[in-house]
Amino acid sequence: MLQRRNSLLLNIVIWVLLIFMLLWVLFPFYWALLNSIKHPSDTFRPGTWVPWLTFKPTLDTWISNLSQREIRRALLNSTLISTGAATVSVIIGTLAAYALARFRFQRVSNGSITTWFLSQRILPPVVVVLPFFLIMSSIGATDKIWSLILLNATFVLPFPVIILSQMFRELPPEMEEAAFVDGANRWQAFTRVALPLVVPGLVSVWIICMAFSWNEFLFALTLTSKNAIPMPVIIAGAQHTRGVQFHEVGVRVLMTMLPPTILALLAQRYIVRGLTLGAVKG
Amino acid sequence: MSQSVGLSEAPAVREIPVRAQDRSRWAFLLPAVFWVLALTIFPLLYALYSSLFSYRFGRRNAFVGLDNYARLFTDENLHNGLWVTFIFVISTVAVEMVLGFSLALLLNREIRGRNVLRAIMILPLFATPVALGYLGITIFYETNGPINVLIRSLGGSSIPWLSNPFWARVAIILVDIWQWTPFVFLVSLAGLQGLPVDLYEAAAVDGAGGWQLFRRITLPLMMPTLWLILLFRLVDAFKVFDIPMSLTLGGPGRATEVYSMFQYRTGMRFFDHGYAAAQGFLLLIIVSVIVSLLFGRIRSLYEEA
Repeated sequence: MLQRRNSLLLNIVIWVLLIFMLLWVLFPFYWALLNSIKHPSDTFRPGTWVPWLTFKPTLDTWISNLSQREIRRALLNSTLISTGAATVSVIIGTLAAYALARFRFQRVSNGSITTWFLSQRILPPVVVVLPFFLIMSSIGATDKIWSLILLNATFVLPFPVIILSQMFRELPPEMEEAAFVDGANRWQAFTRVALPLVVPGLVSVWIICMAFSWNEFLFALTLTSKNAIPMPVIIAGAQHTRGVQFHEVGVRVLMTMLPPTILALLAQRYIVRGLTLGAVKG
Repeated sequence: MSQSVGLSEAPAVREIPVRAQDRSRWAFLLPAVFWVLALTIFPLLYALYSSLFSYRFGRRNAFVGLDNYARLFTDENLHNGLWVTFIFVISTVAVEMVLGFSLALLLNREIRGRNVLRAIMILPLFATPVALGYLGITIFYETNGPINVLIRSLGGSSIPWLSNPFWARVAIILVDIWQWTPFVFLVSLAGLQGLPVDLYEAAAVDGAGGWQLFRRITLPLMMPTLWLILLFRLVDAFKVFDIPMSLTLGGPGRATEVYSMFQYRTGMRFFDHGYAAAQGFLLLIIVSVIVSLLFGRIRSLYEEA
């Protein structure tokens, strides 16, 4: 099937389809970029589709947004929350993954433990975030970056646990056995032998966790009010009393979307595997 | 290389002959276990407890037993939320599955620039959903937004995207389709490329045509992957919150007020935390039922293979 020669007609259909798909996927990004470099009055005018030709581009909105303290604060918060959550979940997730790959648990089988971690993935976030909000507000811990790190790390934890335990299982155990013969203990075998071999996968999983935590909106909306507000919540600030400001939306949408999408491209070899929790290897 | 589909652990645990460090396995496993217990099970128990109380001004007021659960049956706004969510889930998942799988079938061949295509298809998956919602406001803009300008230039009339209940639902569905069709496409394509080539060659020698190849080989072998994609899409679609919250704010009226959004408002706007907790458990039960139905389906298909 792969080798079947394509007829000319089929080739044309495929190329038309490909071009349509690319336009369809890329158009929203292009539209955000256009709005971000338009003068406010141009955003509501029809036919302003090509910079320089149909409107005069300006960087004013970018400059004014980047000079706002609350936006820079939000960028910093988003960075701290997403990298913090990804790091915490990858650390504890990798440890659990190694345990599931290398030890046999008796009372509860390894498969059941894996499924238990997997079931985390089906839990609707709204079910947990409201009681979590009550608990946090009763101890006066809302609007804190660390509470968002805690929640995000929990919801991305299935990724490192399941994907990395698969990767550890694909390593031949003989190398760790050799380390034991040389007098290493379990911890040394883990950190010096097994861990370095899964680094590419580890980095990719970290990126996936980081991107999901960066994009998370519900927890941030519920748990932040001022100091810990990250980017996804700050976009809403573009909706002033005067209505939605399209040029502001353009800038903030791009500032929010670009970091996770660009990072995800670095992990693209592992995306299919990551998003299906290891069930399909891309 | 045959297909690599398997939900839990495909290869058996290859245990290293354990020496003195046997107990260290708990040190590896327990941090994650305690983490999940503390941050999901404990809030769930807390929710279970608070669902038995009425709340006033956000403070626990009186023990009401199962009253909050009884309200689930009579609350029309809640039923509206369920209905809107069902419409959303069924339309998005159906369109994404058909479109994504068809595209994968068509493009499962030698084409130049496959890596570029994959890279571009990854972009929507990691685009911030709430940002897409706000971007949607500018794209679905009724007077001079790009879609309506295009429709008008083709001789049609403007679509009242965000002010008409029907079209507002279409709008949130379209954003989700834009974001997640690439997921179905990428996973299907990965699955298709894992299919054994020799099977097709043997069938072609026997004179099987394209349709027969698809019907007898591709589809049966792809079924586990397709069920798996369906499961992931269903679970995620039921959680939908960000896009209607940003694009339509649940409106016009309650036309796009999906379940998660309704529950969020019950808790965070009306501070009716007991009732919101009861609503959460209803959602949890619905999603769990769907998962257990499909999970069995996937598992049985594995055993047949």
